[in-house]
Amino acid sequence: MVTEHSTTALVTAAARGDESAWAELVRRYTPLVYSVIRSHDLGGADAADVNQTVWLRLVEHLDQVRKPEALAAWLAVTTRRECYRMSRLGRRTQPVDPSDGALDGYDGSSAAPDEDLLRTERRQALREGFAQLPPRCQELLSLLTADPPLSYREAADRLGVPIGSIGPTQARCLRRLRDCPALAPYLGLRPSNGTKGGDRDGAVAAGR
Amino acid sequence: MEPWPPVDDAGLGAELRAALWDAGEVPEEHLRAARAAFAWRTVDAELTLAELVFDSACEAGAAGPTRSAGSARNLSFRGGPIMLEIEVSAAGIVGQLCPADGGRISARTANGTYDETSVDAVGLFSLGVPPPGPVQLHARAGGVTVVTDWVCLR
Repeated sequence: MVTEHSTTALVTAAARGDESAWAELVRRYTPLVYSVIRSHDLGGADAADVNQTVWLRLVEHLDQVRKPEALAAWLAVTTRRECYRMSRLGRRTQPVDPSDGALDGYDGSSAAPDEDLLRTERRQALREGFAQLPPRCQELLSLLTADPPLSYREAADRLGVPIGSIGPTQARCLRRLRDCPALAPYLGLRPSNGTKGGDRDGAVAAGR
Repeated sequence: MEPWPPVDDAGLGAELRAALWDAGEVPEEHLRAARAAFAWRTVDAELTLAELVFDSACEAGAAGPTRSAGSARNLSFRGGPIMLEIEVSAAGIVGQLCPADGGRISARTANGTYDETSVDAVGLFSLGVPPPGPVQLHARAGGVTVVTDWVCLR
């Protein structure tokens, strides 16, 4: 079953021309690419062009993703870079026609924009922190947060390490994530409790 | 109220899971485009991939590069000994391939080739205005095949 293969095996198989392996990579990683695109406030044709660029780019780089376990980081970095390029082109994003649906789902039309914004920022901070982790941490945390998540036993088999090392390694990786600079602006911060996120704004602004 | 990021590993793991994998429903168009990208896999072992190494649009302080007062955008691709430089403007693409050895160059989108032309003796070529969306240049010269990284040119 393709769905049980590790990312490393999928990248290797796709590089050899296995289209089903590619389809599984797409299934696993389009949410990551899409979430990065959305966090850059790109919608519509711009979002679609960035997505297409990233996947076309990956096709050419399959042979060169030397550490396939770092694929998530490669995708996150490439997507972020292409979002930046798109934002510099400033082509179709403005003015936005509100009736075209491009902004549906992630702007001020939602019931709780402050909470949505806070959640979006936090998730982006986590993704940035994740992208800065060592590849082994990224691979392990990817496996343990996947849907469905792997058991410690499965993760140990996948990574070729003793099962007893999984728990301590996970704890160490999560500690690194918690301590990474991307999350620093949020440390010790409490969620908005009716104060409309004034603390958050201050802390986030200070971190930028 | 609980602090964030969560102090317990289970809580942080759940937040990370949401950040990495719950992007909401990915548009079908994105999934379709991502799957279809595989059709552009090149199997030529002699192929040189010229990676994007410079884009004036991404330089700090650059003004809005397109649409504004006829300013052109410059991009450079490099792969091994091969250098490919292009200038994109409202008039289309002009570029130079080094080392120069004649040959042909084509420009394609994910839908296929949209223009093709010959490369002259000093490596110069010109191509039509690129469509929106990612574009890849594909050159054959002196027994060498070069493709560039895909990149949106406008």
